Amino acid sequence: MTEPAAPVTPARVVEAMADFGLVTTPRRNRVRIVVSRDRIRDGLLRVQGQLACDHVVHIAAVDNGSTFELHYSLTGPHRLIVTLAVAVPRDDARVVSVHDLLPPAGIYERQIHDLFGIVFEGHPNLKRLILTEDWPEGEYPLRKDWKMDPNRSYGGAVTEAK
Amino acid sequence: MPEVVVPIGPYHPALKEPVNFRVIADGEVIVRLELDIAYNHRGIEKAAESRDFIRVVPLLERICGICSHSHTTNFVKGIEEAMGLTVPRRGQYLRVVVAELERMHSHLLWLGVAAHEIGFNTLFMWTWRDREAVQDILEEISGNRVNYAINEVGGVRRDLRPSAIPGILKRLDVLEKRTERYLELLRHEPTTAIRFQGVGRLSRAQALEYGTVGPTARASGIDYDIRKDDPYVLYEEMPFAVVTNGHGDVYGRTLVRIGELRESIRIIRHALENLPQGAVRATPPRVAPRAEILSRYEAPRGELSHFIRTNNTDRVERLDVRTPTLANWTSVAVSLVGQHLADIPVVVAAIDPCLSCTSRITVVDEGLARTSVLTWDELRAHGIRFYREKEGL
Amino acid sequence: MNLSQRLVGWARRKSPWITVFNSGSCNACDIEVIAAITPRFDVERFGILAKGSPRHSDILIVTGPVTLKQAKRLRMIYDQMPEPKYVIATGACGATGGVFQGLYHVLGGADRVVPVDVYVAGCPPRPDEIIDAVVKCLELMDEDAKHGGKEWRMKAAAAPPPVEVTA
Repeated sequence: MTEPAAPVTPARVVEAMADFGLVTTPRRNRVRIVVSRDRIRDGLLRVQGQLACDHVVHIAAVDNGSTFELHYSLTGPHRLIVTLAVAVPRDDARVVSVHDLLPPAGIYERQIHDLFGIVFEGHPNLKRLILTEDWPEGEYPLRKDWKMDPNRSYGGAVTEAK
Repeated sequence: MPEVVVPIGPYHPALKEPVNFRVIADGEVIVRLELDIAYNHRGIEKAAESRDFIRVVPLLERICGICSHSHTTNFVKGIEEAMGLTVPRRGQYLRVVVAELERMHSHLLWLGVAAHEIGFNTLFMWTWRDREAVQDILEEISGNRVNYAINEVGGVRRDLRPSAIPGILKRLDVLEKRTERYLELLRHEPTTAIRFQGVGRLSRAQALEYGTVGPTARASGIDYDIRKDDPYVLYEEMPFAVVTNGHGDVYGRTLVRIGELRESIRIIRHALENLPQGAVRATPPRVAPRAEILSRYEAPRGELSHFIRTNNTDRVERLDVRTPTLANWTSVAVSLVGQHLADIPVVVAAIDPCLSCTSRITVVDEGLARTSVLTWDELRAHGIRFYREKEGL
Repeated sequence: MNLSQRLVGWARRKSPWITVFNSGSCNACDIEVIAAITPRFDVERFGILAKGSPRHSDILIVTGPVTLKQAKRLRMIYDQMPEPKYVIATGACGATGGVFQGLYHVLGGADRVVPVDVYVAGCPPRPDEIIDAVVKCLELMDEDAKHGGKEWRMKAAAAPPPVEVTA
């Protein structure tokens, strides 16, 4: 990782990341960059390198009704939040894993997989984390088109109570 | 490499949440830790999408009964940001007071639990007795000892009678003296020294790499504290220091939490002595315009993050919650590698997990080709015995 | 007789051992149960002990709304307890699932999995209310002993309520 040449300001972030996609500054200390899913690793490497981000705040997942979105938010000694917003198509819900660049992503990606069904390619262990082990396959509760069916069970089987 | 799988899950009379670990061990030495945290999953984020801003707050309050105010404050301030709503200063100051009281009750609770983990039950009883003073203050301010329900979008729901303030300040004086006593005890008590020092080591680089937050990170020399880095509810007007040290072990984390108790007392005093006059809430609009907000908060356990998307309705389109405990699990898994099974209770407790450990521990000793299921109590007893023999404690 | 005297009387006859099981709660109830042990409330002076092992316990205190993950464990813990055994379900969660009723990973109430003898209202109930629940449970144990078991007060199991999906 290279040391940043100049203090990391929102303007510097905008300049450094402009080639990835649309950059907006929703707040004085927040910069948001749209990044395509095939460039997410490059984006993170640049954010960690040139922009000295050393702490991953959140990897948020959203279903906006038509596509999935992943928002990777990082911060550093400059205390700005840099967010990379990635769109993931619904009918091809895969994206490369970044667990080797961001170790906490190991847990975050696993959780997102449970709840949205997004596959993180290269993740060493995408098994169940947050849902019960007998939760049925293919049911992704946080998808917008998923609604709980009161007439079926979703796991949690137990022998009848007296 | 011979692997022993130790699923951890106990009946812990002293609280905490259901966690399942599988600890892969080679005899007494830990090789790897695997996590399974489904015990506590309820489906709150999904439910938040169908509850309006009034109904959703009591739900979020109960994500965690220890840091309930953290979750509600973090959420409502995110919605207020989406709405462009300014909360009256008096309301924000009251949020700070409750927030710091929550930090205090949580840290005292933690100190008692950590003491209990190493068999130091006297300290457990003392800290929880002192903690009752904090619960009393919270009850006086909010009406409840736990799940204070003080927040709503726009401000706080109850005002504080000026006549209550001197009594609160007096109780803070007592708590301050008790805190000094705990610091002194920690410095001189051999039990805590042996069980906490050198245990659960995390270097600064490791702590950063693994996404550690809160006192765990600050004990590894990382000075991130959202109240300073990304201030909210007028923390920028409060006098306090970020407590860090370079110990990088459970002892260091204990020092950070005790230091934060002192800083919290400072903040509460300042807020109460300088409480602005006026309203405690502003009337919010019914809907929140389209927005995407990353709301962050320094909860007792560390950075709490809410990703909120609003869509011009009276409810969120998405609420994604990343709790500080989730952020700290990776560091637990890493810092336990190479340590002893006997260290598990202390290292897990040291991140102050917002979890109840009604988990069972399965220890698979590959060398002996034997599996046994331990309860947390048994593992704790094992830890106490192990160190008693080892160090003559 | 006041509460203390009644409690000491029971404690002499029987020192109940208690196991607490968290079925996915937010922890508020668990904290208040433990606060009951600590000096302000000090339930241990009545001989009531919180023990880790269900195999030696008389009373099971269940916190939480019973998540799908914990349902099987809750049943296992209950089955491990020797007779006569009693269950106290704490809080709104213990009764119906509380604020979590209808969520996709929650069964909704301890009595979906085990028979419950005492419900304690609150969210969370205060430590004194929890102690009161334990006292009521002891009273029940006495009554049951006089009647030779629980059958005298068991009603037929009610049909489970229709699930209202709120998520």
